[in-house]
Amino acid sequence: MGNAIVWIVWVVAALACLGTGIAVVSLTNPFYSALSLIGNLASLAVLYLLAAAEFVAAAQVLVYAGAVMVMFLFVIAYLGGRADAPWAGGPRSLQIAAVVASVALLVEVIIAIGLKAGGRLSDEKTVSDAFGSPKEIGRLFLTDHLLAFEITSIVLLVAAVGGVVLGMRSEDEDEPEPEEATTA
Amino acid sequence: MIAMLGPEIPFYLVVSGILFAIGALGVMLRRSPLIVLLSLEIMLNACNLSLIGFSRLLGDGDGQIFALSVMAVAAAEVVVGLGLIVAIARRRLDLDVDEMQELRG
Amino acid sequence: MSGTFAGAWVCLLAPLAGFLVILLGGNRIRRQEAGWISTLSVFIGFAGAVGALVELWQSDHGDRHHVLRAFTWLRAGDFAPGLEITVDTLAIVMMLVVTGVGGLIVLYSNGYMAGEDEQRRYFAYMSFFVFSMLVLVQAGNLLLMLVGWGLVGLASYLLIGFYHRRPDAIAAAKKAFVINAVGDALFAMGLFLLIAKTGTVDFTTAFDAAENGELTSTVAGLIALGLLGGAVAKSAQIPFHTWLPDAMEGPTPVSALIHAATMVTAGVYLICRVHPIFEAAPSIQHTAAILGLVTLLVAGLIGLAQHDIKRVIAYSTMSQIGYMFVAAGIGAYGFAMFHLVTHAFFKALLFLAAGVVIHHLDGEQDIRRMGGLRRLMPYTHAVFLIGTLALVGIPPLAGFWSKDAVLASALATGGGLGWVLYVGGLAGALLTGAYSFRLYYRVFHGPPSEHVVAHSGHGHVHEHGPEHGGAHDRHAHAGEGPGSMLWPVGILAALSVVGGLLNVAGAWHPFTHWIDETAEALVEASVAEEYITSAIAVALGLAGYLIAKRAFDGGREIVPEGTAFTVLSRKLYVDELYAALFERPLQAASATIRDAFERPVVQGSLDRIGTGAQEASTLAGRVQTGLLRSYAFAIAASVVVLGVVFLVVR
Repeated sequence: MGNAIVWIVWVVAALACLGTGIAVVSLTNPFYSALSLIGNLASLAVLYLLAAAEFVAAAQVLVYAGAVMVMFLFVIAYLGGRADAPWAGGPRSLQIAAVVASVALLVEVIIAIGLKAGGRLSDEKTVSDAFGSPKEIGRLFLTDHLLAFEITSIVLLVAAVGGVVLGMRSEDEDEPEPEEATTA
Repeated sequence: MIAMLGPEIPFYLVVSGILFAIGALGVMLRRSPLIVLLSLEIMLNACNLSLIGFSRLLGDGDGQIFALSVMAVAAAEVVVGLGLIVAIARRRLDLDVDEMQELRG
Repeated sequence: MSGTFAGAWVCLLAPLAGFLVILLGGNRIRRQEAGWISTLSVFIGFAGAVGALVELWQSDHGDRHHVLRAFTWLRAGDFAPGLEITVDTLAIVMMLVVTGVGGLIVLYSNGYMAGEDEQRRYFAYMSFFVFSMLVLVQAGNLLLMLVGWGLVGLASYLLIGFYHRRPDAIAAAKKAFVINAVGDALFAMGLFLLIAKTGTVDFTTAFDAAENGELTSTVAGLIALGLLGGAVAKSAQIPFHTWLPDAMEGPTPVSALIHAATMVTAGVYLICRVHPIFEAAPSIQHTAAILGLVTLLVAGLIGLAQHDIKRVIAYSTMSQIGYMFVAAGIGAYGFAMFHLVTHAFFKALLFLAAGVVIHHLDGEQDIRRMGGLRRLMPYTHAVFLIGTLALVGIPPLAGFWSKDAVLASALATGGGLGWVLYVGGLAGALLTGAYSFRLYYRVFHGPPSEHVVAHSGHGHVHEHGPEHGGAHDRHAHAGEGPGSMLWPVGILAALSVVGGLLNVAGAWHPFTHWIDETAEALVEASVAEEYITSAIAVALGLAGYLIAKRAFDGGREIVPEGTAFTVLSRKLYVDELYAALFERPLQAASATIRDAFERPVVQGSLDRIGTGAQEASTLAGRVQTGLLRSYAFAIAASVVVLGVVFLVVR
């Protein structure tokens, strides 16, 4: 019985994920796209939970959806405006080619993994309760992957500095006139 | 010990792949840099999903560590990207990737 | 066995050493010194030749043929030619002539070329020429002879074109080289055929093969024809004769040495040297005689209508070599060589004397502007007269003995060929008398022309007032020329007088017996035949003299003005004929090839590579559109492709 519930949850989350993904890509209003992305992130968090990665799920919601997307929304609000329609730009040939390339990518990935991994995809290991817990993540970060941890922190620092620099005003610049308020 | 309930790992991988393809489509088709950036985020998240899936399959925490690093880097990238977009907008340029063509030979 | 014949090696190598010293010394040697080095090197060669002669003389009669090998050059199975020199009676004669007469001429050049800017180059070339001629003469196998053949052609080209700032000189040098190259090619083809059939270039083996009938008559004929072609070109016989008159553009000593005494006689020497091959193909040998006859007559006729002193003498050379070819063609090798030797004496004498005249008149060569030099240049007049008499064949001077012997041999041959050659040769004697005395009278007799008067005062007085200026410093000597010029002329005159006594018909024949040891004569004229021939020939020579004198006294040319004269003075239009037959079609062909193939295909392909690269890069540049989305698409597409590749490969 528990299995069935898990299955249902999984399917719903997966569909939500894909649906919001398509929405991000195809909506005209950037505000709506950003909100769809938040939904995408949330459904992904559910999927992470189902795969025994609790800390990552939590971090996803807190950091990604909570901080990054909020920043996105701030900028969209600041800039206002509307984006183009999805199929508006560029020559038709390029668009068709783009679709073909994406589909090809997908097919390729599936074939590659299917061929290479073969039967081993079915043998999941059983994991302990501590798998994916903050304690385990923390331990790994501070012992096996200390270098990655430190470097990541430096990357974040650099990004912060870069953001400040990019946001600074120089003399020959104006504020953009306030756009009409878009329906939010 | 926790055994796998629900769908097995291949399902996660399929979802991840489809999500990646959707993100790629968005990058290639849309003209507004904001939307492009959002599509990039989708692609990154698709990768994260497959990382988590494999981590569960192999019982190894390294995949989750990697996913966390990806997340951090994605955040950094968004900061820089948005900064660029704001700077472009400040100079009264069109927010249209097709208009910004000066990087060429 | 006999001695080492070191003399022969000295003879060969001394001029080479002289050449190298001048070449390597460059500007460190003064100009005069270059002249002395060259002269000395040739005379050392002469001493070596004399030494070899003595050694040969002292050996037994049967032992007079030696081949000395320095090293082996190629080795291909049995075919092993090397640096071999031959020391035998025939070679010794040529060596003595080349170094002896050559030495005198180089000595003369010291005076003639004094003050010339490029004197060192001249003397280097002269030494080089003497060396090349000796390689040809002393070669112990046909391959080395071909090497000498080519080197001599090169030396001739360099020396004819010595005044390289004159376009006429350069054109003449090229013409000489090209025609000689045709001859060289024929020589080489004959040689290849010989190697193919006998597997050797060695003289003895080849000759044995020829004598023993191992060569079919066709093959022997072809080989002989090839060799004859080379001889005809080198000796300026018809049809390869057109280069010799033009070669007079070179300095006069060059004309004397190369185009009178030595190089042009190489063809005669060749026939004598390889006579067994010619004897195996008698039709070709007789062809040589016929060509000689035709040349003899035609050259004599053309000489009657030329105005340049050197060209008249050049045509005379052509004619006399015709006599030598007649002799060689009928197998009278001894007399062919004898006439070669005497001709070397008096023809070099004539050229050098003409050189004194030209030198004295500051470069004037047109006989219509000369005259009356008899009183102004008595010494030169005397030697020139001696040379003329020797040429015409007046006894007891040298030409008499040699030329008449050739004619007598022709008579002795008998048959249709013999009679034709005999009558033609006698007619040639008439012509010889006519053109020689025409030249003599025009230059030395009659009233002095204005040109002569303008230049006449210089020869006799020492003082030169300031009005003469620097250009006349060359005449700062008493008499007609510097001693270095007058002495060799005198020696050659003496040789022209007594040289004929080497072989007196009916009395003693040391010279022909000497040559017979290497190249046995096929015919032997009887004493009676010789005396009758001599009488007729002398009579005809005197008749020619009378014709010339009467024409001169009457103030007219021997050949009347009009078509005949024009045709002769234009050298029978042979140059124009050759130009139309060979030069223009070849030029047209090469122009066609250039326009149809060279420019579009060869040049075009190179151009196309350049422009093609540019076009390709422009095309490639279109990929960089600047559009973000196309870049993104490109990345995605590449990933797809790479993925496929990796999947398939692994």
